[in-house]
Amino acid sequence: MIEFKDLSFSYSSGNVNKNDETDTNNGSLRNIDLTVRDGEFVLLTGSSGCGKTTLIRFINGLIPNFFSGDIKGEVLLDGKNISEMSLFDLSSRVGSVFQNPRSQFFNVDTTSELAFGCENHGIEVSEIKKRVNEVSEKLAIKKLMGRNIFAMSGGEKQKIACGSVVAVQPDIYVLDEPSSNLDVYAADELRKFLVMLKSAGKTVVIVEHRLYYLADLADRVIVMNEGTIKYDSTMENFRKLSENERAGMGLRALSLTDAADVYKKTVNKEACDSWHINDLRFRFKGENEDVLNIKDESISSGRITAVIGHNGAGKTTFSRVLCGLEKRAKGTIEKDGKAYNSKQRLKKCYMIMQDVNHQLFTESVLDEIFISMEEKNEDEAMDLLRQMDLEKYSSAHPMSLSGGQKQRASIASAMAAKRDIFIFDEPTSGLDLYHMKQVAAALGALADSGKTVVVVTHDVEFVLMCCDEVVHLEEGNITEHYALDSDESRKHLLDFFNV
Amino acid sequence: MKKEFLVSEKKNERVELDPRTKLALLITIAVFVLGQTASKSLGAYVIVLAMLPILLMMISGKVKNAVMFLLIYVCCMLVTIYAVPELSGAFQYVVIALCSLFMRFLPGIAMGYYTVTTTTVSEFIAAMEKMHITDKITIPMSVIFRFFPTIFEECSAINDAMKMRGISLRNAGALAIVEYRLVPMLMCSVKIGEELSVASLTRGLGGPVKRTNICSIGFRAADIILLAVCAAAFVLCIVGAIK
Repeated sequence: MIEFKDLSFSYSSGNVNKNDETDTNNGSLRNIDLTVRDGEFVLLTGSSGCGKTTLIRFINGLIPNFFSGDIKGEVLLDGKNISEMSLFDLSSRVGSVFQNPRSQFFNVDTTSELAFGCENHGIEVSEIKKRVNEVSEKLAIKKLMGRNIFAMSGGEKQKIACGSVVAVQPDIYVLDEPSSNLDVYAADELRKFLVMLKSAGKTVVIVEHRLYYLADLADRVIVMNEGTIKYDSTMENFRKLSENERAGMGLRALSLTDAADVYKKTVNKEACDSWHINDLRFRFKGENEDVLNIKDESISSGRITAVIGHNGAGKTTFSRVLCGLEKRAKGTIEKDGKAYNSKQRLKKCYMIMQDVNHQLFTESVLDEIFISMEEKNEDEAMDLLRQMDLEKYSSAHPMSLSGGQKQRASIASAMAAKRDIFIFDEPTSGLDLYHMKQVAAALGALADSGKTVVVVTHDVEFVLMCCDEVVHLEEGNITEHYALDSDESRKHLLDFFNV
Repeated sequence: MKKEFLVSEKKNERVELDPRTKLALLITIAVFVLGQTASKSLGAYVIVLAMLPILLMMISGKVKNAVMFLLIYVCCMLVTIYAVPELSGAFQYVVIALCSLFMRFLPGIAMGYYTVTTTTVSEFIAAMEKMHITDKITIPMSVIFRFFPTIFEECSAINDAMKMRGISLRNAGALAIVEYRLVPMLMCSVKIGEELSVASLTRGLGGPVKRTNICSIGFRAADIILLAVCAAAFVLCIVGAIK
């Protein structure tokens, strides 16, 4: 049993991770009273910065052992004060899974990673081997054993992270947005893992923005806001709320079918003109099969086109080829009778990467715009920043901005370079409703100004919210291409995502 | 495409050596071939040492690399013996310098190459633990191995970003290029580093109990022969010094 007794907390200034200018709470907690019973499956949600991550950091001991701050009140684990326990003591009782699959593994190969937690606890080698074997069987990751983790997909990495936690056999699991970097299929695998925990009677506290995959799994839903608990009830009651009521609490959709109605958008006017893709092909060095082969396709300007497809369908390759990063790609894209090869495309297209930190180099946001301009023009630069709502931050260091602001700074610099095609790689991974809407608005503004916007994504809610067209990629070919303008087309989209 | 320091997946090898043997070989080759310590008392034994990595590479199936190393080594040796006396002046010095440079460095490089391509990270860590090196060194070492591929990943992402921005040596200058690369790289590494520490601490790293290790290593016949070869070099050196 975990008990929070009148707990208040605020991070000491060094640990504050500001999400946004609107986020005044900074993840602090105010007078939390909460009891999580053994075997309960709790879904903890709320907008960014509401304090949900802070709350679970108390359970796994990262507060006060790793993140420091001002604590009032106490947290008890089976009647014992958690603050007096060390991270090591807690690590055998509480297992933690985090958001980013890339930074969760300590070893370079899978087998060592599964054994890692047990090794740290000094468990006998023969016992560890037995457990690793069991876990790999239970999680169906036998074929991943003994392999390089770096060569794995995000979903596979996340499975290894789950397995590594299970091997220690804790009775409490805390998960911090485990699905936010996963596609729909990997999220479904994660769901199976959670079902397993639930049927084994483990206590689970999961922090999430994506709710739909937990709809029939969680027993209890807690919604936080500004550091306090705003809603605490059973899943049954939570399900009875309307999708609009949930959206009012800043939450994403619980049911995707309802989401289709709530997010319904009017498709952007008649597409003005379009880019034609002619025989775009690509194969990796030394391979003799094309991983991308698109004969004849067109992408509308002034519209937002979503690119969807299974893992390994070639979505990433498609976007890299489209923006000219892959020099070996054959074929051209064409507009107004002018054909662009891959080298010319590099000057026409711009990809906003999933990790925007890679794309910001300079010391101030304004400089970021300047290096993209052929001639420095301060008025024009400020104008672009105004459009992206970044005027106030023109002299700020790009790295001091929030995730969304970085994304917009990146868009502004691409606009300064007069690019026509904007490609977004998973722009909404791990975002709450508010920030998802913000990204949708930025993309909408781009499309309205006549730019061509392509979004590679697995976020159905986001596609429903802002995309005009859907391109379905499978095995390097475009198998379907339709406008998202009717209830049928939306249903068709959902069918694809219903795994 | 894999970029890593030490391998992560074990390939089947005909002769599996203990990482400690490889380490002993590395040290011996560094001292006697690269350092030319006691070259008089060792004499032709230096060549035996220099040939060891090439032999090991042959056995573990890296024939192409082994033949290349061997050819360069033999060429340098032949040039030193037969061609150098015919030459004169500055040119002679250049040739001598080049040949001896290659002959000194190549075996060390070959041994290093063999070691990093046949040792897995877990074997290496297990070996360090067997040698009773404290956690204060082994844990940071494993973090370093974990970080090598990460840094490559970050670098290639940043490279792509620079290409897209059209930033090149021509329009930005060398200093700016270095800065544009370092800043995002440092930021990303710090972030990954923090997340990594959080994940490993919640998995009990750094606790008060003695860690166990599921990677089993140990000395076999081949290890003992090679260790004897290394020991012989040191014996020859000491005997030479006493005389």
